[in-house]
Amino acid sequence: MDLVKHLRYFTVVAEELHFGNAAVRLGMAQPPLSQGIRRLEEELGVRLFDRSSRQVRLTEAGRAVLAEAGEILARVDRLRALAGREEGEVLRVGVPPDLGSAVIAALIAGFEEACRETAAPEAAHHPATGRAKAGAERAGGGVRLVPAEMWSADQAAALTAGALDVGVLRHPIAAPGLVFGPTLVQHPGVVLAESDPLARLSSVHLADLAGRRLVLFPGEPGLHEETLAECRRHGFVPQEVHHAQTLGLVMAGTAVAFGPRVELPGLCWRTLVGAPLAWRISAAWRGEAGPAAEAFGAVAVRVLKENAGMTEDGAAPVRRVRSRPASGFLA
Amino acid sequence: MTGGGGVREPDEEFGGLFRAAGVIGFLHAVDVDTGAEVAYGADEPVVLASVFKIALLVEFFRQADRGALDPAERVTVMADRHTPGPTGVSAMADDVTVSLRDLAYLMIAVSDNTAADTLIGRVGLAAVNTMLDGFGLVRTRVEHDCATLFTSVVEDSGQEDMPTDPAVVSRLRVLDPARTNRGTPRETARLLAMIWRDEAASPESCAWMRRLLGLQVWPHRLASGFPYDDVAVSGKTGTLPTLRNEAGVVEYPDGGCYAVAVFTRSYGTAQNQPRADAVIGTAARAAVERLRSRPA
Repeated sequence: MDLVKHLRYFTVVAEELHFGNAAVRLGMAQPPLSQGIRRLEEELGVRLFDRSSRQVRLTEAGRAVLAEAGEILARVDRLRALAGREEGEVLRVGVPPDLGSAVIAALIAGFEEACRETAAPEAAHHPATGRAKAGAERAGGGVRLVPAEMWSADQAAALTAGALDVGVLRHPIAAPGLVFGPTLVQHPGVVLAESDPLARLSSVHLADLAGRRLVLFPGEPGLHEETLAECRRHGFVPQEVHHAQTLGLVMAGTAVAFGPRVELPGLCWRTLVGAPLAWRISAAWRGEAGPAAEAFGAVAVRVLKENAGMTEDGAAPVRRVRSRPASGFLA
Repeated sequence: MTGGGGVREPDEEFGGLFRAAGVIGFLHAVDVDTGAEVAYGADEPVVLASVFKIALLVEFFRQADRGALDPAERVTVMADRHTPGPTGVSAMADDVTVSLRDLAYLMIAVSDNTAADTLIGRVGLAAVNTMLDGFGLVRTRVEHDCATLFTSVVEDSGQEDMPTDPAVVSRLRVLDPARTNRGTPRETARLLAMIWRDEAASPESCAWMRRLLGLQVWPHRLASGFPYDDVAVSGKTGTLPTLRNEAGVVEYPDGGCYAVAVFTRSYGTAQNQPRADAVIGTAARAAVERLRSRPA
C-alpha cells in the first residue's frame, strides 16, 4: 500500500472528524476514503477511529498514530519541496452527481482550456470564454481543478466550512454568506419504464402520474420541497417518495423520476406538458470569489448551456388555472 | 379481514378506496326505510361547502309551508349584487328577475351562489340553525353566506381565483370545520332521509325538494357510482379547494332507497381531479352494496 497517501487520508479525517468533509478536502469521493482508512487500520492492526456513535472519534491508538503521521508527512512534504515537486494551486469545486460524466468532463476541459488560452494571449478572443480567460489570467494559470460530486446541501455546508472553493448547486438553497453566479434553468421531463402505459403518450401531464411512486435525488431538500409542491398543485401526490441516485427503481417499473433526457434500454423519457418544473442551478462561492473561482463560474455557465441544455433564467412561467364550472368556488 | 376472501371490514374497504384516489374521505349511508347504516368517519366534523344549501332549501320550504314567504314571489337580483360563482345567476351579466322557488332550483341544480345568498336574505341563517336544532342536528351549523365565504378566501389567499398553491390552501379558513359552515356525514344523510320520508317539511314541500335535488346536473361524483337508467340519483355537491363532497339519495328500481353523504379532502391541490370526484360515487356504491346485501 501507499503508506504516505493513506497517512495523509488519516490525518485529514482526524482533523475533520467527518468523512464527508475530509473527502471534499482531499478532492475524492467518500467511499474510497473510508476504504483507505480501513486498509490502513488493517495494515497497522489497530482501530484508528471509533465510528460506533454518530460522531467520528479518534481512538487511543489513533491519537498515537496521528502524532507520528504528522511528523512523517511533514518530512515527506519537505522531501518533495526539495525535489521541486510541489504541486500548483488547487481549485476545489463541487458538482451535482446527476449532471453526468460528460458534463463534468466538459467542465474540466473547459476550465483547462480557459487556463491554456490565457497562457497563449495571441489566441483568438472568444466572447463566451472572455470572462473565464480574464479570471484564469489573474489566477496566473496552472490552477488544478479538483472536482467532487456532491449534492447541493453538502456543497452549501462545505462552502460555508471552507472545504470547497466553488459549488455548482441547485436552488432553492440558502446558506449564510453564499454568493451566486448567474442562474440557469432546466425543465426536466419524466423518466418512465418502457412498459408504463404513459410511454405511449407523446408528452405526459404531471396529473397523469397520479398514484405512481417518485424517485427524487437525495441531498436536495429545497428542490425536493419545491418539486413536490408543484406536483401537488397539478394533482400528482406520489404514493411514496424514494431518494435514490440511480434510475434502478424506474427501470424496475416501480417508480418514475424527473430529469433531463435519458436514452437507456428499458427506459423512456417524455417532456412534461406545460413545462411545470423548473430546476434552477448556479455557481456559488463564499464571500468574494477568487479569480480562479470566478473563471470556473464562467466556464460552468457556458458548459451547462452548451452541454446540458440549460438556459438563462427567464421570467417565472405564468401558472394558469383554467377553471371549469364543476370545480369552481362553491360548486 | 375475515378469512377465505370474505367481506372486508368497512375501514379497510373505504380507507383503501379513498387512499387510492388521493383523498381522505368520510361517509355515512343510511337505508331510508329501515335505518340500517354504514359509517366511515361518519361523526367527524366536515366542511359542508355547498352541501349547506340543502339545509337552506329545507328552511326555505318550511317558511313557505308556514306562509312566511311566497315561493312564487318574483325578485330582481341586480347585476352588481351577484355573489361570485361559476354557474347560474352568479355567472350572468345582467339583472335577473326570477321567482324565489326558481332561485331554489338554480341553487340546487347548478349550485348557484347568488341564488343561495338571495334566499338567505329572505330566510335568514339564524332560522336555518333553529330548524337544525329542532331536528336535533346540533353539529350542523350554517353561519356564513356564499359572499362571506368568498371574501374569506380572498382575504386568506390575496387572490380572487381559487388558489392551488399548497401553502396558500393550507391557511384557508373556509377549509377549517371550526370556522366555516360545518356538519357531519351522519347528520347530512339524516336530513336527506327526512326529506325522503316527508319529515323535513310538508309532504308537498318535501316532494318539491326531492324534485329539485333530482335536477342537479353534475354527473361526476355520486351519480358516477350508479350508471343505470333505472336508478335515480338526487344530490347536492360541495366544492372548495381540495374539498369534494356530495350528499344525496339513491333510489333502486326494487324500491331500495339510500341516503348517502360523502365528504373528501384531496392531498393534491389541483382543481381537476377526476379520480377524487369519482371515488365519491365508488365509495357510495360500496356503501349501498353493503346495505343491500344485509339480511332483511
